[in-house]
Amino acid sequence: MNRWRQLAGYGVGAGLTLLCTLAGMAMAPRFDIVNIAMVYLLAVVVMALRFARGAAIFAAALSVAAFDYLFVPPAGAFTIHDAQYLLTLAIMLAVALVISELTARSRRENAARTALAVQAETERIRSTLLASISHDLRTPLAVMAGASSSLAERAEQLSAEERRSLAQSVYAQARDMADQVDKVLQMTRLEMGAITPARDWAAISEIVGSVLARLRERLSGHILVVDIAPDAPLVRVDAGLIEQVLTNLLENAARHTPRGTLVHVRVVMQGGELIVSVEDFGPGLEGRGVQRVFDKFHGRADESRPAGMGLGLAICRAIVLLHGGRIWAEHMSGGGAAFRFALSLEQVPSAPAET
Amino acid sequence: MDEVRKSILVIEDEPEIRRFLRAALGAEGYKVVEAGTGRRGSIDAAVHKPDLAIVDLGLPDFDGVEVVRRIREWSPMPVIVLSARTQERAKIDALDAGADDYVTKPFGVGELLARVRVALRNAVRTAGGRVLRMGDASVDLESRQAWRDGQPLRLTPIEYKLLACLARRLSLVVTHRELLVEVWGPTHAKDTHYLRIYMKQLRDKLEADPVQPRYLVTETGVGYRLLTDETA
Repeated sequence: MNRWRQLAGYGVGAGLTLLCTLAGMAMAPRFDIVNIAMVYLLAVVVMALRFARGAAIFAAALSVAAFDYLFVPPAGAFTIHDAQYLLTLAIMLAVALVISELTARSRRENAARTALAVQAETERIRSTLLASISHDLRTPLAVMAGASSSLAERAEQLSAEERRSLAQSVYAQARDMADQVDKVLQMTRLEMGAITPARDWAAISEIVGSVLARLRERLSGHILVVDIAPDAPLVRVDAGLIEQVLTNLLENAARHTPRGTLVHVRVVMQGGELIVSVEDFGPGLEGRGVQRVFDKFHGRADESRPAGMGLGLAICRAIVLLHGGRIWAEHMSGGGAAFRFALSLEQVPSAPAET
Repeated sequence: MDEVRKSILVIEDEPEIRRFLRAALGAEGYKVVEAGTGRRGSIDAAVHKPDLAIVDLGLPDFDGVEVVRRIREWSPMPVIVLSARTQERAKIDALDAGADDYVTKPFGVGELLARVRVALRNAVRTAGGRVLRMGDASVDLESRQAWRDGQPLRLTPIEYKLLACLARRLSLVVTHRELLVEVWGPTHAKDTHYLRIYMKQLRDKLEADPVQPRYLVTETGVGYRLLTDETA
């Protein structure tokens, strides 16, 4: 690729020189020879600005040769009689060298600046990530260390009931931590482009059903209503990833709305798309920007918030985008928030008919 | 319970995981044989002839899928694989290679023990000739008759075939590929949309709430699992 670009530079150099030569020939009868040199000089400057040094020097040398041979008297020979044309030639070479050096330097500086900016952004994300991980992981770790050490060192003094409850809290915290770690890993893999969706025909009702089965306990405090268009066609998606999107949306709804409120899962078809919504009747998105909720670590500002908001929605967005879909949040008219994502529908191949 | 203690071979490289598996399985009355590598495990499977093998998919020497394949070359013993969440592909490969079920790490012991019980029970049960009871609905696979709320229910031949295939491995996961090959033939091994359409039909006929099925359970990205009132 780079090799081709280099070769292209030499090609353009030769072409430009030829162009200048033709222009010079047209000018020769009426213009002073020094002005023709200016035309060549312009070409050399352009070359030095646009291409690597090699190609610029090549163009300068070619221009000098052409200028000398065709225009400097005696025309048709490489001899140089007049010292001032020698100067013209030297200047042309010098210009090529100086400008290409300047361009190269500014290119290097630009690249360095961009690299620095990228590094600063990476640094920022990394430190937010560390802060969030240390908060989300340290608490469960503290609980696990405390509870398990009580079991290991003080088991005899504890009643069976106390032992069971300590062990259960270790188990619950460990599960929670595993979820958090999974999210961090998933986000990293999504960002590195290490996830290729394994797309296959899937029924959205199955995805919804399997998410609800998995979240049954976590959603038990809410009133769940499911509305799926009965004729919803199959979608070609990575069912596991879409299941994760819906899981994160429902977990968020359960986490950020009061117990006893309604959570509504809706699937409708609209304009060649399947739109999956999770609507809640909680406090809504407050003043927060409806798009910014999908940013990584958005909602991290306040450490006292329930954990987990940092990556869930960012993962949702990454997965939906990976499927070529759209995801967005809306304020609900009665308060509450709606999170929706749209997947484009494709023609489902027919299945064999059966009587 | 008085019969000979069932033995379980655990092939897992992490000693800490082996430790709690040993404790949990031992407390349940199973005799536990342990192997830390795939090579060792394949040999132990042949030497000890355990009643069931638990195989980790993340072994250091060779792939857990390869262990499953080697065991299946000579033995129908039930095999349960342990997989991490990032090993989706390996999990499906292991199931297609003949593993009976899987448990995703991290797992609770209760979940694993339930899978072990089902797999051991399934190994001795003979297929066919039984009636599947699923709440208000029941299906007799032998006579090809079905009822719902006491009324006869019409199932198509493909629906019966699909149910029979799932029932042969009752309570265990059956992969998309297995179902497609069994019901529609090897040329349709990748026509997942057939399955989606027929599973929906079956759920509409048999389940009280087809979106939240109790008996025809989805294993996302992997396959399906059939439960009945006796096993659910």
